[in-house]
Amino acid sequence: MEGGLRAWQGMVAHGPPEAGMAFFSPAADAEEIVGLAWALEEGSKLFYQGVAEHFTQDKETKQMFNWLVSAEMNHEKHLLETYETLTGTKPDFERLRTKFSGSLNGTVMEGGVPVKEALEWAKDKGVSESLELAMAMEVNAFDLYIKMSRAIEDEKARQIFEKLSEEEQVHLEKLANLLDKKI
Amino acid sequence: MGVLDYFKSIPSMTTEEVRQFLAEKHPDEYNLVDVRQPKEYEMDHIPGANLIPMAELKDRLDEINPEKPTIVY
Repeated sequence: MEGGLRAWQGMVAHGPPEAGMAFFSPAADAEEIVGLAWALEEGSKLFYQGVAEHFTQDKETKQMFNWLVSAEMNHEKHLLETYETLTGTKPDFERLRTKFSGSLNGTVMEGGVPVKEALEWAKDKGVSESLELAMAMEVNAFDLYIKMSRAIEDEKARQIFEKLSEEEQVHLEKLANLLDKKI
Repeated sequence: MGVLDYFKSIPSMTTEEVRQFLAEKHPDEYNLVDVRQPKEYEMDHIPGANLIPMAELKDRLDEINPEKPTIVY
Protein backbone atom coordinates (compact mmCIF):
# COMPACT_ATOMS: atom_id res chain seq x y z
CA MET A 1 0.00 0.00 0.00
CA GLU A 2 1.45 3.36 -1.08
CA GLY A 3 2.70 5.49 1.81
CA GLY A 4 2.01 2.78 4.44
CA LEU A 5 -0.12 3.38 7.54
CA ARG A 6 0.81 7.07 7.70
CA ALA A 7 -0.90 7.58 4.36
CA TRP A 8 -3.87 5.51 5.59
CA GLN A 9 -4.19 7.92 8.51
CA GLY A 10 -3.95 10.85 6.10
CA MET A 11 -0.68 11.97 7.63
CA VAL A 12 1.56 11.94 4.58
CA ALA A 13 1.06 12.89 0.98
CA HIS A 14 3.93 10.79 -0.36
CA GLY A 15 5.60 7.70 0.99
CA PRO A 16 9.25 6.83 0.42
CA PRO A 17 10.47 6.09 -3.12
CA GLU A 18 8.98 2.79 -4.26
CA ALA A 19 11.47 -0.05 -4.54
CA GLY A 20 11.24 -2.54 -7.38
CA MET A 21 11.98 -6.25 -7.40
CA ALA A 22 15.20 -7.36 -9.07
CA PHE A 23 15.10 -9.94 -11.81
CA PHE A 24 17.61 -11.23 -14.35
CA SER A 25 17.35 -13.52 -17.27
CA PRO A 26 18.46 -17.14 -16.84
CA ALA A 27 21.19 -16.25 -19.34
CA ALA A 28 22.70 -13.59 -17.10
CA ASP A 29 26.42 -14.25 -16.77
CA ALA A 30 28.62 -13.98 -13.70
CA GLU A 31 30.11 -10.68 -14.77
CA GLU A 32 26.66 -9.18 -15.20
CA ILE A 33 25.42 -10.44 -11.83
CA VAL A 34 28.47 -9.38 -9.83
CA GLY A 35 28.66 -6.04 -11.65
CA LEU A 36 25.02 -5.31 -10.86
CA ALA A 37 25.44 -6.19 -7.18
CA TRP A 38 28.57 -4.05 -6.94
CA ALA A 39 26.81 -1.06 -8.52
CA LEU A 40 23.91 -1.36 -6.05
CA GLU A 41 26.21 -1.69 -3.04
CA GLU A 42 28.00 1.47 -4.18
CA GLY A 43 24.66 3.30 -4.40
CA SER A 44 23.51 2.05 -0.99
CA LYS A 45 26.82 3.09 0.57
CA LEU A 46 26.38 6.64 -0.75
CA PHE A 47 22.78 6.71 0.50
CA TYR A 48 23.81 5.64 4.01
CA GLN A 49 26.64 8.17 4.03
CA GLY A 50 24.17 10.91 3.10
CA VAL A 51 21.60 9.84 5.71
CA ALA A 52 24.25 9.60 8.46
CA GLU A 53 24.93 13.31 7.90
CA HIS A 54 21.28 14.11 8.69
CA PHE A 55 21.67 12.84 12.24
CA THR A 56 24.46 14.93 13.72
CA GLN A 57 22.61 15.20 17.07
CA ASP A 58 21.54 11.57 17.31
CA LYS A 59 24.80 9.68 17.84
CA GLU A 60 23.21 6.25 17.99
CA THR A 61 21.44 6.64 14.64
CA LYS A 62 24.46 8.26 13.02
CA GLN A 63 26.60 5.37 14.28
CA MET A 64 24.16 2.84 12.80
CA PHE A 65 24.24 4.44 9.35
CA ASN A 66 28.03 4.76 9.47
CA TRP A 67 28.24 1.10 10.42
CA LEU A 68 26.09 0.27 7.38
CA VAL A 69 28.49 2.28 5.19
CA SER A 70 31.39 0.12 6.35
CA ALA A 71 29.30 -3.06 5.96
CA GLU A 72 28.47 -2.13 2.35
CA MET A 73 32.14 -1.42 1.67
CA ASN A 74 32.94 -4.86 2.98
CA HIS A 75 30.34 -6.35 0.65
CA GLU A 76 31.89 -4.50 -2.29
CA LYS A 77 35.24 -6.10 -1.40
CA HIS A 78 33.65 -9.58 -1.34
CA LEU A 79 31.96 -8.91 -4.68
CA LEU A 80 35.19 -7.84 -6.33
CA GLU A 81 36.87 -10.99 -5.02
CA THR A 82 33.97 -13.02 -6.40
CA TYR A 83 34.39 -11.33 -9.74
CA GLU A 84 38.06 -12.29 -9.81
CA THR A 85 37.29 -15.86 -8.85
CA LEU A 86 34.70 -16.21 -11.58
CA THR A 87 36.44 -14.48 -14.43
CA GLY A 88 40.09 -14.97 -13.48
CA THR A 89 40.68 -11.28 -14.09
CA LYS A 90 40.53 -8.00 -12.19
CA PRO A 91 37.31 -6.07 -12.86
CA ASP A 92 37.52 -3.80 -15.87
CA PHE A 93 35.47 -0.89 -14.59
CA GLU A 94 35.39 0.83 -17.96
CA ARG A 95 33.86 -2.25 -19.53
CA LEU A 96 31.38 -2.63 -16.67
CA ARG A 97 30.44 1.04 -16.95
CA THR A 98 29.68 0.50 -20.61
CA LYS A 99 27.68 -2.57 -19.77
CA PHE A 100 25.56 -0.72 -17.22
CA SER A 101 25.21 2.44 -19.28
CA GLY A 102 27.56 4.39 -17.07
CA SER A 103 25.54 3.81 -13.90
CA LEU A 104 28.40 2.31 -11.92
CA ASN A 105 28.94 5.51 -10.01
CA GLY A 106 26.47 4.89 -7.22
CA THR A 107 23.44 6.58 -8.74
CA VAL A 108 21.10 3.68 -7.98
CA MET A 109 20.78 1.73 -4.74
CA GLU A 110 19.09 -1.50 -3.65
CA GLY A 111 15.55 -1.82 -4.96
CA GLY A 112 16.52 0.17 -8.06
CA VAL A 113 15.82 3.41 -6.21
CA PRO A 114 17.81 6.46 -7.41
CA VAL A 115 20.09 7.60 -4.55
CA LYS A 116 19.41 11.28 -5.23
CA GLU A 117 15.65 10.76 -5.01
CA ALA A 118 15.94 8.76 -1.77
CA LEU A 119 18.21 11.36 -0.12
CA GLU A 120 15.89 14.14 -1.22
CA TRP A 121 12.95 12.29 0.36
CA ALA A 122 14.88 11.51 3.56
CA LYS A 123 16.33 14.97 4.18
CA ASP A 124 13.40 16.31 6.23
CA LYS A 125 12.34 12.96 7.69
CA GLY A 126 12.79 11.72 11.23
CA VAL A 127 14.68 8.72 12.54
CA SER A 128 11.79 6.26 12.19
CA GLU A 129 11.11 7.02 8.54
CA SER A 130 14.80 6.90 7.62
CA LEU A 131 15.23 3.58 9.43
CA GLU A 132 12.14 2.20 7.71
CA LEU A 133 13.49 3.14 4.28
CA ALA A 134 16.83 1.55 5.16
CA MET A 135 14.98 -1.64 6.23
CA ALA A 136 13.11 -1.73 2.93
CA MET A 137 16.46 -1.51 1.14
CA GLU A 138 18.00 -4.28 3.21
CA VAL A 139 15.05 -6.55 2.44
CA ASN A 140 15.62 -5.85 -1.25
CA ALA A 141 19.33 -6.62 -0.91
CA PHE A 142 18.49 -9.84 0.93
CA ASP A 143 16.12 -10.83 -1.87
CA LEU A 144 18.68 -9.91 -4.53
CA TYR A 145 21.46 -12.07 -3.05
CA ILE A 146 19.14 -15.05 -2.59
CA LYS A 147 18.21 -14.78 -6.27
CA MET A 148 21.85 -14.42 -7.25
CA SER A 149 22.86 -17.47 -5.23
CA ARG A 150 20.22 -19.44 -7.16
CA ALA A 151 21.18 -18.01 -10.54
CA ILE A 152 24.92 -18.59 -10.36
CA GLU A 153 26.44 -21.99 -11.02
CA ASP A 154 29.90 -21.50 -9.52
CA GLU A 155 29.86 -23.12 -6.05
CA LYS A 156 32.20 -20.63 -4.39
CA ALA A 157 30.29 -17.64 -5.78
CA ARG A 158 27.03 -19.21 -4.65
CA GLN A 159 28.39 -19.53 -1.11
CA ILE A 160 29.49 -15.89 -1.13
CA PHE A 161 26.03 -14.73 -2.22
CA GLU A 162 24.46 -16.85 0.50
CA LYS A 163 26.78 -15.28 3.07
CA LEU A 164 25.94 -11.80 1.77
CA SER A 165 22.22 -12.54 2.03
CA GLU A 166 22.69 -13.71 5.63
CA GLU A 167 24.54 -10.49 6.42
CA GLU A 168 21.77 -8.38 4.90
CA GLN A 169 19.37 -10.21 7.24
CA VAL A 170 21.60 -9.21 10.19
CA HIS A 171 21.54 -5.57 9.00
CA LEU A 172 17.77 -5.78 8.88
CA GLU A 173 17.56 -7.12 12.44
CA LYS A 174 19.90 -4.40 13.75
CA LEU A 175 17.84 -1.70 12.05
CA ALA A 176 14.63 -3.22 13.47
CA ASN A 177 16.11 -3.21 16.98
CA LEU A 178 17.13 0.43 16.70
CA LEU A 179 13.72 1.35 15.29
CA ASP A 180 12.10 -0.38 18.29
CA LYS A 181 14.14 1.83 20.62
CA LYS A 182 13.29 5.00 18.70
CA ILE A 183 9.51 4.52 18.46
CA MET B 1 21.51 -1.78 -20.56
CA GLY B 2 21.26 0.23 -17.35
CA VAL B 3 20.99 -0.93 -13.75
CA LEU B 4 17.32 0.07 -13.68
CA ASP B 5 16.54 -2.46 -16.40
CA TYR B 6 17.06 -5.14 -13.75
CA PHE B 7 14.11 -3.95 -11.68
CA LYS B 8 10.42 -4.27 -12.20
CA SER B 9 7.95 -2.35 -10.08
CA ILE B 10 5.81 -4.12 -7.53
CA PRO B 11 2.07 -3.45 -8.01
CA SER B 12 1.03 -0.86 -5.46
CA MET B 13 -2.42 0.28 -4.30
CA THR B 14 -3.39 3.71 -3.02
CA THR B 15 -5.02 3.94 0.40
CA GLU B 16 -8.37 4.59 -1.30
CA GLU B 17 -8.01 1.46 -3.41
CA VAL B 18 -7.18 -0.54 -0.28
CA ARG B 19 -10.20 0.85 1.59
CA GLN B 20 -12.44 -0.12 -1.31
CA PHE B 21 -10.84 -3.57 -1.63
CA LEU B 22 -11.28 -4.31 2.08
CA ALA B 23 -14.88 -3.06 2.03
CA GLU B 24 -15.82 -5.32 -0.87
CA LYS B 25 -14.02 -8.51 0.23
CA HIS B 26 -14.48 -10.93 3.08
CA PRO B 27 -11.43 -11.10 5.39
CA ASP B 28 -10.94 -14.74 4.35
CA GLU B 29 -10.34 -13.65 0.77
CA TYR B 30 -7.03 -11.85 1.28
CA ASN B 31 -3.84 -11.60 3.36
CA LEU B 32 -3.43 -8.23 5.05
CA VAL B 33 0.10 -7.98 6.45
CA ASP B 34 1.57 -5.28 8.68
CA VAL B 35 5.38 -5.49 8.35
CA ARG B 36 6.16 -2.72 10.86
CA GLN B 37 7.50 -3.19 14.38
CA PRO B 38 5.26 -4.60 17.17
CA LYS B 39 5.19 -1.26 19.02
CA GLU B 40 3.92 0.49 15.89
CA TYR B 41 1.28 -2.21 15.43
CA GLU B 42 0.15 -1.78 19.04
CA MET B 43 -0.25 1.97 18.53
CA ASP B 44 -2.42 1.58 15.45
CA HIS B 45 -3.07 -0.83 12.63
CA ILE B 46 -5.63 -1.59 9.98
CA PRO B 47 -8.28 -3.88 11.53
CA GLY B 48 -7.63 -7.53 10.74
CA ALA B 49 -3.99 -7.02 9.79
CA ASN B 50 -1.58 -9.81 10.67
CA LEU B 51 1.64 -8.52 12.25
CA ILE B 52 4.76 -10.00 10.64
CA PRO B 53 7.68 -7.58 11.23
CA MET B 54 9.94 -7.25 8.21
CA ALA B 55 12.89 -8.92 9.92
CA GLU B 56 10.73 -12.01 10.67
CA LEU B 57 9.17 -12.29 7.22
CA LYS B 58 11.59 -14.92 5.93
CA ASP B 59 10.77 -17.31 8.81
CA ARG B 60 7.02 -16.69 8.81
CA LEU B 61 6.15 -16.94 5.13
CA ASP B 62 3.89 -19.92 5.87
CA GLU B 63 1.45 -17.50 7.54
CA ILE B 64 0.72 -15.94 4.15
CA ASN B 65 -1.59 -17.93 1.90
CA PRO B 66 -0.06 -17.77 -1.60
CA GLU B 67 -3.47 -18.55 -3.13
CA LYS B 68 -4.88 -15.21 -1.96
CA PRO B 69 -3.96 -11.63 -2.85
CA THR B 70 -1.68 -10.02 -0.26
CA ILE B 71 -1.73 -6.39 0.82
CA VAL B 72 1.37 -5.25 2.69
CA TYR B 73 2.04 -2.02 4.55
